[in-house]
Amino acid sequence: MNSDKHGLKKLLFRHETLLLLVLVGEWLFFYFRGTTTNFSGVTVGFGTAGAQIDILRHSCEIGLLALVMTPVILTGGIDLSVGSLMGLSAVVFGKLWRDAGVPIPAAITATLALGALAGGLNATLITALRLPPLIVTLGTFSLFRGLAEALTRGADTFTGFPASFQAIGQNNWFGLPAQLLVFVLVAAAIWLLVHRTTLGRSFRAIGYASEGARYAGLPVGRRLATVYILAGLGASLAGLIFTARLNQAGANTGTGYELFAITAVVLGGTSIFGGSGSVHGTLLGWAAVAVLSDSLPYVDWPREVGGMLTGLLLIVALSAGVLPKFLSAWRARRHSSRSVNPQPTPSP
Amino acid sequence: MSRYFREISVAAALALVLVGLALFARAFYQPQPLLTLVTSQVAPTLVIACGMTLVIICRQIDISVGSSFAICGVCGALLLKQGFPIGLALPASVLLGAAFGALNGALVAGLGLPSIVVTLATMVTWREALRWLRQGVYVNIGTENQWFGLSQRAGQWTIIIVAVGLMIGLAVVMKHLAAGRFVYAVGTDAEAARLAGIRPRLVTFLCFVLIGALTGLAAMMSAVQSPQVDPTAGVGLELRTIAAVVVGGVSISGGRGNLWGVLAGLLLLSSINPALTYLGVSAFWEKAIQGTIILLAVVADGLRSRKRAN
Repeated sequence: MNSDKHGLKKLLFRHETLLLLVLVGEWLFFYFRGTTTNFSGVTVGFGTAGAQIDILRHSCEIGLLALVMTPVILTGGIDLSVGSLMGLSAVVFGKLWRDAGVPIPAAITATLALGALAGGLNATLITALRLPPLIVTLGTFSLFRGLAEALTRGADTFTGFPASFQAIGQNNWFGLPAQLLVFVLVAAAIWLLVHRTTLGRSFRAIGYASEGARYAGLPVGRRLATVYILAGLGASLAGLIFTARLNQAGANTGTGYELFAITAVVLGGTSIFGGSGSVHGTLLGWAAVAVLSDSLPYVDWPREVGGMLTGLLLIVALSAGVLPKFLSAWRARRHSSRSVNPQPTPSP
Repeated sequence: MSRYFREISVAAALALVLVGLALFARAFYQPQPLLTLVTSQVAPTLVIACGMTLVIICRQIDISVGSSFAICGVCGALLLKQGFPIGLALPASVLLGAAFGALNGALVAGLGLPSIVVTLATMVTWREALRWLRQGVYVNIGTENQWFGLSQRAGQWTIIIVAVGLMIGLAVVMKHLAAGRFVYAVGTDAEAARLAGIRPRLVTFLCFVLIGALTGLAAMMSAVQSPQVDPTAGVGLELRTIAAVVVGGVSISGGRGNLWGVLAGLLLLSSINPALTYLGVSAFWEKAIQGTIILLAVVADGLRSRKRAN
């Protein structure tokens, strides 16, 4: 597409490259400021393997949501209901296991089926009636959380899950958090789906021009159904992992997580209008959010500053993306207004 | 009839709820609890919903109102606590809100960034900044500042009259004045509006400034209702407001809807919780019912537009 000379420049100024630099900068800052040696000569703080594993463990759920949110946003849609669905999944799982006596593997299967079903509800409303995803998922955002609250009467929580289930959220496998394995598998699957299959291409085609995709013969409705069902599945998986990590399931599980997931996706360079973006961008965006929101205590800064910086980073990333276009448009406007009213050239 | 189908059906649903309450739960109509309910739950949300209606008609959205609501409330309350009069704290809060709105507006209208992402970012930033600076400490404005220094009854009526007056005023502006029609024009087709001589970016910017200023006003209307101002107020307010606006028949794709429908939608959604309580049903069903109402409203929209297309 480009000549080689421009290729390097393009690679350097790609969103992903810049984001990677920000991420490395962040990490090095915390590494040098947040790692110390205590009296007995043991290294403590951000730089230790334990701290890194903790950060990974805490951010797997938001990472899962961001991964399944990427195809949704690629098609030009959005799913606000994933955080609420996490809560509903956690509560239904807890109820099945504790109150109905369903064995853990069957309860996990049923919960994932519920997630797919909930995603299917979003998909049906969005595709069959052609309703805007923002409003449909705003409705189910309220509905799923409401069902979770109604099922638990707002106060009931489930705990005391068997150790084999808690292992998913608390144990280490080969020195890494167990849920990271699940996360890597999902990430690989979504990456292959989006970047190496015709299905993934069709997501972008729909996001770029939904009507055009329809005329080109793509089954737009079925493709949209796929991404929303996938989002539902991912949300209930995140709900299960959250439950295993804390050994607790309550109606408020995952409150506000949808916003962090959307932040990670958009920070990763996926256009909120759909049509362009990448899964590896989302992974970088997620890592940047995860490091910022979990590492500030290591440098003795309050955790809230991390949230603030995440928001600011999002604004800066967005503005940086449009600034060149904005400036060139501004210059063109100035130029054209000058050519319309040509200034007389001063004689020497 | 068909033109105002949504407004009429929402009003009918509201009437049904009110009649049901009159038949089965007379206690709901005791004047003082009802007045308190309307002042605390409905009036401030109505003021923000007015701004949200304009923003959504303009084909934008603002999800940062909950966070700026909390900051404006805390800042106004801090001024009151320092001994400044309400006549200074109230405009200060409105101005601060307008400044927040202007920032959103500059990013959306000036740089052309998507409003949902911009306001998502400002929502997180302002909320975390407030948490960091105040650490969740309540602001004590004392009973002398409560209800704007009026008696409780007078204060409550002032709040309701200001909210309803603002709504009616804006409804008239939107229907009969050029400025109001500009908003509809920009939301329907920004390029066509530009060719007709309207400045879409300016209209969008001003809509954001307006919702900011109204949020600042609503924050003070809510803050003076108790001697302690809660710094975590307004969490989830943006979605409650958007829900009321959408149920009231404002199209999320811009250019359609009016404030009377929004009033009916807000009253319907706000009546669920007290209705459940007075009818002896568990109040934990509130969010589920709210979600169902939102979905029903949009499904009705979808079915109607499909019928029209066929």
